[in-house]
Amino acid sequence: MASAPASKYNSHSLENESIKRTSRDGVNRDLSEAVPRLPGETRITDKEVIYICPFNGPIKGRVYITNYRLYLRSLETDSALILDVPLGVISRIEKMGGATSRGENSYGLDITCKDMRNLRFALKQEGHSRRDMFEILTRYAFPLAHSLPIFAFLNEEKFNVDGWMVYNPVEEYRRQGLPNHHWRITFINKCYELCDTYPALLVVPYRASDDDLRRVATFRSRNRIPVLSWIHPENKTVIVRCSQPLVGMSGKRNKDDEKYLDVIRETNRQISKLTIYDARPNVNAVANKATGGGYESDDAYHNTELFFLDIHNIHVMRESLKKVKDIVYPNVEESHWLSSLESTHWLEHIKLVLTGAIQVADKVSSGKTSVVVHCSDGWDRTAQLTALAMLMLDSFYRSIEGFEILVQKEWISFGHKFASRIGHGDKNHADADRSPIFLQFIDCVWQMSKQFPTAFEFNERFLITILDHLYSCRFGTFLYNCESAREKQKVTERTVSLWSLINSNKDKYKNPFYTKEINRVLYPVASMRHLELWVNYYIRWNPRIKQQQPNPVEQRYVELLALRDEYIQRLEELQLAGSAKLSDPSTPPSGPAQRMPHVHTHF
Amino acid sequence: MEFLELIRTGPAQAKLLRGPEAPPLRGILCVTGHHLLLSPGPQGTSDLWLLLLHVAGAVSYDSGTITLRCKDLRVLQLDIEGVEATLDIARSIEALSSLESVITSFPFFYRPKGLRLGDAWHFHPPERYYKRVARETNAWRLSEVNEDFSLCPSYPRAVIVPRAVDDDALARCAGFRQGGRFPVLSYHHAPSGTVLLRSSQPLTGPQKRRCAEDEELLRSVLAGARPGAPGFILDTRSAQAAKQARVTGGGTEAKAAYPGWKRLHRPLERGRPLQESFVRLVEACGDLEKSMDGWLSQLEACRWLAHVKEALSTACLAAWGVEREEACVLVHGAEGTDSTLLVTSLAQLILDPLSRTMTGFQELVEREWIQAGHPFQLRCAHSAFSHARPKHEAPTFLLFLDCVWQLGHQFPLSLEFGEGLLLALFEHAYASPFGTFLCSSEKERCLCEVRTQTHSLWSGLNQPKVRRKLRNPLYVPSPLAIWPSVEPQSLQLWQGLFLRWIRPPEPSQVAWEKVWQRLASKEKTEDCEPTSKPQL
Repeated sequence: MASAPASKYNSHSLENESIKRTSRDGVNRDLSEAVPRLPGETRITDKEVIYICPFNGPIKGRVYITNYRLYLRSLETDSALILDVPLGVISRIEKMGGATSRGENSYGLDITCKDMRNLRFALKQEGHSRRDMFEILTRYAFPLAHSLPIFAFLNEEKFNVDGWMVYNPVEEYRRQGLPNHHWRITFINKCYELCDTYPALLVVPYRASDDDLRRVATFRSRNRIPVLSWIHPENKTVIVRCSQPLVGMSGKRNKDDEKYLDVIRETNRQISKLTIYDARPNVNAVANKATGGGYESDDAYHNTELFFLDIHNIHVMRESLKKVKDIVYPNVEESHWLSSLESTHWLEHIKLVLTGAIQVADKVSSGKTSVVVHCSDGWDRTAQLTALAMLMLDSFYRSIEGFEILVQKEWISFGHKFASRIGHGDKNHADADRSPIFLQFIDCVWQMSKQFPTAFEFNERFLITILDHLYSCRFGTFLYNCESAREKQKVTERTVSLWSLINSNKDKYKNPFYTKEINRVLYPVASMRHLELWVNYYIRWNPRIKQQQPNPVEQRYVELLALRDEYIQRLEELQLAGSAKLSDPSTPPSGPAQRMPHVHTHF
Repeated sequence: MEFLELIRTGPAQAKLLRGPEAPPLRGILCVTGHHLLLSPGPQGTSDLWLLLLHVAGAVSYDSGTITLRCKDLRVLQLDIEGVEATLDIARSIEALSSLESVITSFPFFYRPKGLRLGDAWHFHPPERYYKRVARETNAWRLSEVNEDFSLCPSYPRAVIVPRAVDDDALARCAGFRQGGRFPVLSYHHAPSGTVLLRSSQPLTGPQKRRCAEDEELLRSVLAGARPGAPGFILDTRSAQAAKQARVTGGGTEAKAAYPGWKRLHRPLERGRPLQESFVRLVEACGDLEKSMDGWLSQLEACRWLAHVKEALSTACLAAWGVEREEACVLVHGAEGTDSTLLVTSLAQLILDPLSRTMTGFQELVEREWIQAGHPFQLRCAHSAFSHARPKHEAPTFLLFLDCVWQLGHQFPLSLEFGEGLLLALFEHAYASPFGTFLCSSEKERCLCEVRTQTHSLWSGLNQPKVRRKLRNPLYVPSPLAIWPSVEPQSLQLWQGLFLRWIRPPEPSQVAWEKVWQRLASKEKTEDCEPTSKPQL
């Protein structure tokens, strides 16, 4: 008894649970071989290995490698361990030990994954078993280096809904009430000639001609001109995104750019100023002048106010996450957990991103002022800020489909460089372009969902699923750096969308406590006291951190969802009955969207 | 009436500042014997009634402003017209809120509508619990040897002891244990047939005294359990501290004297350091001006979560012994009224599904804390705000509630009650219109006639309207033990308590409210007030 360490108390049988849970959804299991396979997935090899589990020690097992995944099943009868890892998750494969290595399990492979874990396999020194496995894994985990296609192009899965249909820019802008008197939709970038990293369809001020846009493009980094992201349905103030102006050391000015921002300002009659949020720390913005960049000085841009939001660049974020991994995997830091967590600065970065987004949202909503958001190139921090601010301002984006549209619009179509930031199929694990910017955004969304448990239609599993497939390469959704590249590769024709998987089984991703509320602005608290490390994501591989087994919780959620639907249905029946009695021909029947918010007041 | 002498003031104009979010409340301020009343006038709807008992020792004032620091960690600021009036009001509040006499305290005057005196005082847990034990085993009996509290002033009248030990032997055991707290049954674990016991330290002293009856009692515990069951003595002090206690007449069980029992030491922090940890945490949480860069290391330096971790892992150890090792476990520290109760009550929550129900948990608190003689009057007198450093103050009960909250956080389906019940218990333990947490022992409660002259908190909380709000809508009964993770990553700051008055109005309360409205829509919602306690 004395020897039983407290930390082991909940580890019994949970390990299996947790690892089984990782098996992917929607997979047809081939019962004859009992290894899950997707349509289009082909088996390459299998091998007997010893999996060195950091929590339960070495486990003998058989590993199956396909062109999509690495699958391991233990051969020991008392342990039902299963590992199911898409090869896309692998960031680096290293050999450990040499032919002369002594000591048990010192010879084998060490695999670093992008999702906060490492896998270690010990192999026999005889024969060429390690060389074979190393080469096969390298080939299929890093297909780009071997002129092989990424698995998404081989995937033949069929779903009953088409996720590529979720986002249609014209429809989304129409939902926002665009075009209107002040804003027009332009096809100037139809062939990606104005800006190769922007989408084909842009919303710009009505008073700016296409020639104006071309001239402005010359003064903005990578031609990413200021364009509309979102318009407030009532006060008509807007969120505009762009890249930095090319001011440079000499302090260049561009009359067209200055005029263009003034035109944007004038679309809003209420306030005589335009607010510019530069996501960078002030010093970085100044330093960028040396490489031709910079920021809008107030002597050149009249009627603007500029704020720096102090968010650090992709390199700082990458190092910060690396430190988080150091303290959570494989062993979690015990004795000084909180101060170690603090020293990673991860939560502090989350706080700054959230704080920035809150400022943007507040300026638009309460300040009734249009804002321009940019960083350097306008595809990392800018996307974080605009997407989060839109999530705070517009309840539509808090539904499952709305969130998909938000990601599709602000991230994918506006050229967040997913391919470079994640390194899909690329073997260069130390590439300085890699950075967890999108993960950080999803973390911020999770923090918001913690603070507003009834405001989001989706649950934690939805967010984790998105992150899992950010790396998996099973879907085409996050492939490539921009829309023009995706179009060239015909991604929508040749791959399946992640949203097909999710939308064909939405119930699984629903938050039972969701209460639809229109026009409610969410301001999360971005103080450190109210931010938490997302343990269920960052430390999910450690069985000792597991909380209540997810199955019963989800089961209960499903019951609650059913209960909720029953009440909503009953309410609608009652309202129908009520409106039949009161039948007033002058008022049109209200759509379900308008009825929903009454749910809570009615009961 | 004597209160009148302490009230130095008539009504005055005042303004209450309620934080940056809410608008200030203006009105006429009155001090009564037990309340501070701020009434905005006839058209105003929300009067402020603040029970003076809630005001912690510290009332600071300078010209025109009074800062009230409440025991539920709320800080209120009152702006009052006139320096004279301010001083008078402050002095009145100070005098009235620090009255120490139990029988003039508010519970003896509190007569809410809809409740009858004497209701729910029939909550006699030792007897009730014995009925359950008697159905499971024959090895234990209910003894009334302490009927007049002469054997042990901090035990209730009836205790559950091994059937093989007679009352005379118990009397001699009592002489051998500090404060007369001889080993009694805390929990019988039916599946393994073993038990959880608690007591105080044996009075071995420097001469290493022994007591045959005490040894016999523990021997018969093992004999009455599953044959061959081992025994573990879980001492909540370090081995060294236990040894040092011999100098002052205490000590710990000698190995040779108790065959079959093995001793383990799991030091738990208590008393002063625990109180200081609490005070530091509350200061850190309330310190909004200071730069927040160091929040996490500040939180770590408070050590509160470390205490939570220690308490939970020691309780896990005790529960592990009972369930997995199928052993009998005796828990004690020195006096056996603080960390001992923390460990035995938490171990029961881990093991016993009944204690995780609404009723079962209330019974657990009544049996393992109130009747077991946790000195609430001494431990929960001032809360975190106090200039003086009261010698006996210690947030042991709050630590227990925090640990229960962590269990609920990790096992969202397993507790029938929600955070609301824990918050209510915290509030009422420190200041309450009910008599439940008055005094330090059953004996004192009898002397003060608490049962006949005050209302029980349990009858307040169990009114259908109130009770419904305290429930956890996710609850699903499960017969299994719930083993919490005690890794620091799994333990969270209890924001609902420590940041209750700091965070914005939205979070969980409002959210749960919405969920409730949904779940409870079958029952017609009446206009429910949470408790009949005056509300802010």
